[in-house]
Amino acid sequence: MASPAVVEISRWQFAVTAVFHMSFPALTVGLSLFLAVTYTLHLRTGNPLYLQIFRFWKKIFAVGFGLGVVAGTVMTFEFGLNWGRYAHAVGPILGVTIGMEVITAFFLEAGFIGIMLYGDGRVRPRTMALACWMLVVGTLLSTTWILSANSWMQDPAGFTEVDGQFRASNWWHVLFNPAFAYRYPHILLAVLISAAWFIGGIAAWYLVKRRALPFARRTLSIALGVLAILMPVQLYVGDATAGFMGAHQPAKLEAFEGNWKTDNNGYNLFVVPDTDKGENRFQVGIPHLGAVIGKDLSGQAHVPGLLQTPEDERPNMWAAFYGFRAMYFTALAMFAMAFAGLVLRLRGRLYTARRFLRLMVWMTPAGVLAISGGWITAEAGRQPWVVYGLIRTSDAVSHLSLGAAIASLTGFVALYALLLGLWIRYIVRTVRTGPEHLVTDAGTTAHSTEISHA
Amino acid sequence: MLEYASYALVLLALGAYVLLDGYDLGVGILSLFDRSDRRRKEYNELIATAWDANESWIVLAGVALWAGLPGVYATVLPGAYLPLVVMLLAIVLRGTAIELQSAAPGYRRGWGLVFGLASLVATVCQGLVAGAVLSGLRHSGQTFTGGTWDWLTPYGVLCALGLVAVYLLAGAAWLQDKTTGSAHAWAGRLGRPLILAVGAAGLVLGFGLRFADPQPLRFDQPLRAALFGLAVAVAVVCAGIAWYGFGRRPDWRPFAAVAGTEAAGLLALVAATAPVVVPPDLTVHAAAGPHGSQLFLLIGVGGCMPVVLAYNVYAWWVFRGKFSRPADVSVADVSVADGPAGTAAAVERPAAVAPAAGGGPWAVVVARRVLLTLLAVAVAAVSQDVFGGVRVWIGPAGVALFAVTALAVWIRSERRSAAAGEFDLRAADQ
Repeated sequence: MASPAVVEISRWQFAVTAVFHMSFPALTVGLSLFLAVTYTLHLRTGNPLYLQIFRFWKKIFAVGFGLGVVAGTVMTFEFGLNWGRYAHAVGPILGVTIGMEVITAFFLEAGFIGIMLYGDGRVRPRTMALACWMLVVGTLLSTTWILSANSWMQDPAGFTEVDGQFRASNWWHVLFNPAFAYRYPHILLAVLISAAWFIGGIAAWYLVKRRALPFARRTLSIALGVLAILMPVQLYVGDATAGFMGAHQPAKLEAFEGNWKTDNNGYNLFVVPDTDKGENRFQVGIPHLGAVIGKDLSGQAHVPGLLQTPEDERPNMWAAFYGFRAMYFTALAMFAMAFAGLVLRLRGRLYTARRFLRLMVWMTPAGVLAISGGWITAEAGRQPWVVYGLIRTSDAVSHLSLGAAIASLTGFVALYALLLGLWIRYIVRTVRTGPEHLVTDAGTTAHSTEISHA
Repeated sequence: MLEYASYALVLLALGAYVLLDGYDLGVGILSLFDRSDRRRKEYNELIATAWDANESWIVLAGVALWAGLPGVYATVLPGAYLPLVVMLLAIVLRGTAIELQSAAPGYRRGWGLVFGLASLVATVCQGLVAGAVLSGLRHSGQTFTGGTWDWLTPYGVLCALGLVAVYLLAGAAWLQDKTTGSAHAWAGRLGRPLILAVGAAGLVLGFGLRFADPQPLRFDQPLRAALFGLAVAVAVVCAGIAWYGFGRRPDWRPFAAVAGTEAAGLLALVAATAPVVVPPDLTVHAAAGPHGSQLFLLIGVGGCMPVVLAYNVYAWWVFRGKFSRPADVSVADVSVADGPAGTAAAVERPAAVAPAAGGGPWAVVVARRVLLTLLAVAVAAVSQDVFGGVRVWIGPAGVALFAVTALAVWIRSERRSAAAGEFDLRAADQ
């Protein structure tokens, strides 16, 4: 029916819009929690430092959240725009799940963000705090529903098929499908971790520049504290998720470990796969490590290879392998940094270790990178299926002309590249301007905004 | 019967969208025609508190359509592909423009222009989509099978013009409600010509539907004819109230009346076309999803709806009345003078105290670093459950131990830092 070119273009379009969209919730879920905590601390302690932190991060949150909302609106329509036949087949299941996300989460977020951003002086501080916490509930609910929907596509359960359309036979099994149990904690930790790097990296920049020190110390301490707790947990959950996927979608694991034949006990660091010949042109790996990671301490077990999967059911190794490496190597770097932060804390040098702090600045986008890599692994590794084992991606696409598909892809790529630039510029400018100063002149209280430290 | 409830849900969401984002987009288009930067910034701020919630309704409409009437969703979205994509691009740009304008200290002309133009483009595209759906889309097996340009019809162009008029009217009514001074007076003057424009559009589109719609309109059925007549009458009465209300107190009356007109207009359209959603023959019944999904959707969404409406009304209540810049909130308990010079001075001290590389003879330093690296590798290995093959409990127990240790170290260091005044805005100044 649809030409392979339209399928390919539509896949690119979905990939670009999905990764772009995901980079915003990757920050705003954690940021909303951070904002709610700091605002509550401000109310409880009356310490102006927390108000300073709250107001500074609110500025970045506002724009990030707005971009996330509009990019998310695109996503909800894209299911039908380019993937009309998929939409028709899974609408009775995923339409309902995402409908619940909209009604429970989007509205909650949208209803309270206005109060949180512009309510200062219009509502009581306690109402502000409530708005902040409602926003947290909204973002967490949103994460829950969307992960349920996506996990159903990874490992469908609780359905029957009637005339090519899927119907729920057991909603409990649909919503809490087996993959959800692993992937939900994994992504929840991931979004909290990536927000913590974002916050911590920017705090470290202030420490490097010796500006706004109490603000920077306080934020860095919270960020690294959260990271030191969550990083080991995330490695554990991530390992369990990979194990689960290896059992339920063997082809995905075979692809992201970068082996064709099942004769390698090493761990591949770098491969150049040749899809047609079914072998790697070039590969670099650490012997025995692959087996050890697979829980065989003797280091002899072979990591499964992609040739075990029939040729027409193989995902693209490039995308799965490098998506996974981007996530995993970044995760190891994050783990090492969190560990180093803990050691520095014990030695009382956290706020003065300049080499560490400079590295921290580089880690600012680490979480977002890791999440993007993870999603690429999850989605590209599920191919050629859009709903695993049930609908092939090539059968899911709408009746579209190649020209229309290319035009919209071009539009989205151009617009999103522009927005990414604007978003980064906005962050840089806001950070350069710095947190506002809360100044008092004998008796009268006022605050001046935007004191430049030039 | 359940599919009609789903259809009603879609219509409710769509109606709420047309009403709420309608004024939103209308104000955006109107901002193009205002010369004053101060007022244009004001229009942006007026929208900034609410655009997000207003836009959620179209997402709900789309998703309710997907879940409740997947056949319509899978036909309309690919069928009106290009205008929908352009609409989404415009919505993305518009949201960005609003947020960046709002975050900027002064008025940014560029973002103001983007805000206005994107509002116009989004409106026109929505009109084109509505026209395309009403003129019918080719489909088979509940998915679209027509051509790339099928959406471009004369009736669609008329719909686009009509929708611009409707949104402008809603925008003007909203401005009368929310603003004071020159913007308020301007909105009052704009109202009546816009009502005339909307009335003309209503007549043209209403009679045009007979020719555009490939299905025969069944006005010979008495119930349908009565409902249609009643809805049109209500729309006309509301338009009359709006006509009277523009430029007069109370300021909320035109918007309430315009809302009535829009709701009645939508009902008239539904009365004329139901049960067909996409002409000529895709009916509510044919496009509906299975019973279980409809039930889940209606219970879930319907159950949440009162709560959603309640806090939306509350959010609206918080920002009720005339727009005003929020007073710069002073912080009552702030008694801090944290000057830039003082800040810089305060850093030097701890920086000078801390030894450059950790101290001790180099052999000790190296040994410590090697040990720490090995420890980190061991912790990472346990966390990744490398020893899970030996004993199942090693992984979870190890991870719990690490997390508790990290928490303990964090708390201890926080206490120390707090005692040393490292978090103190005041101490930083001294």
